[in-house]
Amino acid sequence: MLGLAPALIVLAAITIAPAGYLFLTSLTPLNLTMPGTAWDFSGPHYNYLDLWEDERFLRSAWFQAHLSVATVALQLLGGLGAALLLNRDTPIRRFGRSALLVPMVLPPIAVGILWRVMYTVDISPFHRFMAWIGLPVPPLTTDPDFALWAIVLVDSWEWFPFTMLLVLAALQMIPESPIEAARIDGANGWQMFRYVLFPYIAPTLVVCALFRLIDSIKAFPLIYVLTSGGPGDATTVTNYYAFVQAFNFSLWGYASAIATLMVATIFVISWIIDRLGGNSDGRHD
Amino acid sequence: MAGTTEALAIPRAVPAAPPRARLSVLRRHRRAIGDAATLVLVLVVLFPFLWLLQMSIRPNDDIFGYDLAFTPTLEHYGVLWRGTFAGSFVNSVVISLSSTALALLFGTPAAYALSRGGFRRRRGIALWILATRMAPPIAFTIPFFLAYRWIGLQDTQIGLIIVYLTFNLALVIWMMQGFFEGVPRALEEAAWIDGCGVWQTFLRVSLPLSAPGLAATAVLCFILSWNDFFFALVLTRTNASTAPVAIVNFIQYTGWEWGRIAAAATLVMLPVVVFSMLVRNYLVKGLTAGGTKE
Amino acid sequence: MDGKAATRRGVLQAGAAAATAPAWLLAGKAPAYAQAAKPFAGTTLNISCWASPYARFIGEYLPEFTEATGIRVTYDTPGFPIYNQRADLELSTKGSAYDVLNITFIFTSRWIGAGWFTPLDEFLNDRNRTPADWDFADFLEGSVRPMKDRQGRIYGAPWVADVLCGGSGRFDVLRQQGLGMPDTFAELERAMAAIHMKDDIPAFIVENHYGWVFIPFLQGFGGNVFRNPPDDLFPTLDSAEAVEAAEFLAKLLRQYGPPQAIGYNVDQTTLAFRTGRVNYQVNNHAFLVPASEPGSRVRGTANFSLIPAGPKGRFPGIASHAWGIPVGSRRKPAAWEFIKWSLSKELMNRMVNEKGYAAVTRASILNAPGFRERTMVNGFDMTQLYIDTLALAAQGHMRYRTVHVYPQANAQITQALERIISGQMGARESLRQAQQNTIQDLRRAGIRF
Repeated sequence: MLGLAPALIVLAAITIAPAGYLFLTSLTPLNLTMPGTAWDFSGPHYNYLDLWEDERFLRSAWFQAHLSVATVALQLLGGLGAALLLNRDTPIRRFGRSALLVPMVLPPIAVGILWRVMYTVDISPFHRFMAWIGLPVPPLTTDPDFALWAIVLVDSWEWFPFTMLLVLAALQMIPESPIEAARIDGANGWQMFRYVLFPYIAPTLVVCALFRLIDSIKAFPLIYVLTSGGPGDATTVTNYYAFVQAFNFSLWGYASAIATLMVATIFVISWIIDRLGGNSDGRHD
Repeated sequence: MAGTTEALAIPRAVPAAPPRARLSVLRRHRRAIGDAATLVLVLVVLFPFLWLLQMSIRPNDDIFGYDLAFTPTLEHYGVLWRGTFAGSFVNSVVISLSSTALALLFGTPAAYALSRGGFRRRRGIALWILATRMAPPIAFTIPFFLAYRWIGLQDTQIGLIIVYLTFNLALVIWMMQGFFEGVPRALEEAAWIDGCGVWQTFLRVSLPLSAPGLAATAVLCFILSWNDFFFALVLTRTNASTAPVAIVNFIQYTGWEWGRIAAAATLVMLPVVVFSMLVRNYLVKGLTAGGTKE
Repeated sequence: MDGKAATRRGVLQAGAAAATAPAWLLAGKAPAYAQAAKPFAGTTLNISCWASPYARFIGEYLPEFTEATGIRVTYDTPGFPIYNQRADLELSTKGSAYDVLNITFIFTSRWIGAGWFTPLDEFLNDRNRTPADWDFADFLEGSVRPMKDRQGRIYGAPWVADVLCGGSGRFDVLRQQGLGMPDTFAELERAMAAIHMKDDIPAFIVENHYGWVFIPFLQGFGGNVFRNPPDDLFPTLDSAEAVEAAEFLAKLLRQYGPPQAIGYNVDQTTLAFRTGRVNYQVNNHAFLVPASEPGSRVRGTANFSLIPAGPKGRFPGIASHAWGIPVGSRRKPAAWEFIKWSLSKELMNRMVNEKGYAAVTRASILNAPGFRERTMVNGFDMTQLYIDTLALAAQGHMRYRTVHVYPQANAQITQALERIISGQMGARESLRQAQQNTIQDLRRAGIRF
């Protein structure tokens, strides 16, 4: 149809063309400080072979897995808990439903700044409070054991409202009758949750988890502002590593190979979402 | 999760006349406990946000103080406005608005065509849209950065506007398609009988009927563009740098001027907080674009 | 093609400016009669430098430049690592976003070698653009040398020769313990142990740019970054000497440093010095001198020395930074006006007199009568310290730093030391990892071993 064509052409030009360019670049050793590396396809697989021998890349993938699993788990728990708490119509909880959306809509860079204040020992109200009650907390973002957890905490803080919102929507869709039936049977709170509510919201939780899993692979502003990938490389996740390789060291070919691999991973997850989204058919919408 | 069991024990609609009076007393208590827990949760969660807001109006000599009884000052905002931040803020506004407008211009007709077209094609396009929503920004920044060096779009507003279309256009197509689905066909058919062509029907009937959806979509596009940091960091330097990038510049200045940083962050946060409250109900749809069926 | 046309236009404008330029350069402010002829009036220059004291002072004097020339300046001074990353990226695009950029010491070879800066000879040798008494020969030879290419063309006008020194903000605490300024690594360790947490202040800090401050320790123990720079660039980061040096520095920071020691960038170490929050540090001369400024809490208690010597000698970090004009700039003649102004004898003299600036790059100012007196800090002769440290450059120990792949090694060294100091890894393991990574990075950058 006539209306469709312009948009599709534009969309193709700004998504498919760059993707193709990215892939082609990943087959070259492109380095802007070395002329002649731009379209050098003499060893198209070198970058990809290099990846498997690059300890830093493998470490970054490990940190990435750690970050993703931890933050998705925390968000689901937090979001689910908040949703269950707010699933009732009182003025205060209506207010809560709106107010708790704030972390999610803030610009990620602002989130980084809020938490930079919280994590800088000598100015943080949190650190000063803990020291005042006699339980000083060590600096988190410069400690290799805690730095990644510090990022996990902030990312979960930022995104638990997403799960909360979707779960709340799912809870609204649950029909009255099974709840009534369970109550008449004398179900306690846990049983009610486990056997009545949970089956209804489980598909939503899966979709939430996958969406957030994908977004966690792109984590950048928080790491950029809070730790710059450090200390050492304790928070250098794959995305950040690719950024450093390209934008700090001008190893564009290599970074493109990393990015291509990330895209491939993400496509697999997207495909799963698409299948699941089709099955659960709008319940979480 | 103090309120979990409480919330579970009570369905949404509290019966008007509870059968057992004692339970009803307990319920009323539970309601109060749940409300209190909600307030505590909101305070705890929003604490970092509120803390920064108050820092932005606290005088410099007491910038890290706890005392709430201070004399608020706008000096940090004044300093910001006289510096280069104002220019970046304007860049942010111009770029976000332009990208939103372009996305609507291209995306709305496409969404309409799609909603009136065949199902098979729609599924393929949905998958494509999902893919653009999911793709890591680094995969776009590398080719865009390399291409912009050649065509001279580095550090220009146009360059950033185009990049933001990568996610905005997909979002518009997805959201508007859903809204057009909701327009009753009967009304369109009535327009055809009156002699309107397809696109006239679109302009006179379907589009006005979808106006609230259009507004929500526009706001979402604006928020997404406004919040971007990564593309702006990589593709701008001085002329087109946006407000989020300008804030990061402050962080790296000597002396850590927290008052200024707080004020700048507040200016960047407030518009999105206000706007997102306006489109609260559409947030889910926008954030999961392509992933859930309409 | 556009660029060429713009340059040609610029040449004409510059020619027109020539008659008035010397007058305001000498006077510092535009004399009234010069107001009429401001050939670059209305131009806006984008200038960036990393946040150093000199860069800050220039920011304070900028309104005078604008008043004198009508050139507006958008001026940006991010922290050192951010500056380098941005400048490197921007230069690699040969874009026109910046008109004047600092040529960072560790990038001299990379940036100049890749042809990303404009040769300044045509400006320097053109008497219409540069009066004879601006006198480029006056700049310290050591600071100009890294800014030349193989053919001897000059790409940068140096504004600082940075040297690492030792400084104690609270020398009174050392003296109470019967100690002087530490002169060797052994004395340093003993002194830090003696003064740690005396008067509630931690003893020791260095900035977390370990690729800069760790090297004097590395070389002091007999190690180096590469086997034999600049000819043999095989990294030697996992040598026994390197492990010893890393363990030494890590011990100082872990046992005698403040909490969050690896979170201290140069801004924070400098602030810690001025406020007396950490007693002793190894830092750049230029960052130690502000201890004499009003507002400093250590004006009456500071003392300084050459950087301590290790068993194998004394190897202070010595680096120069210079203003250069990126090849992509569309306003080169105006950019040159800025460089000329910012490094004029007149302005440098005023910085010395008005701001107590001491890390000057002009011999005539360094040797001028009265200079030493003005740059004293708490009675200490900072100029002599500067000259003595610069003299050590003759050992040639800084050659490792001007090879074009040093930035990669620098990143690896900094990360390796972070891992060691934070306790994430032992020195041997961390340095072995740095060694492997550096070899990999150098290979990727096209070095063959």
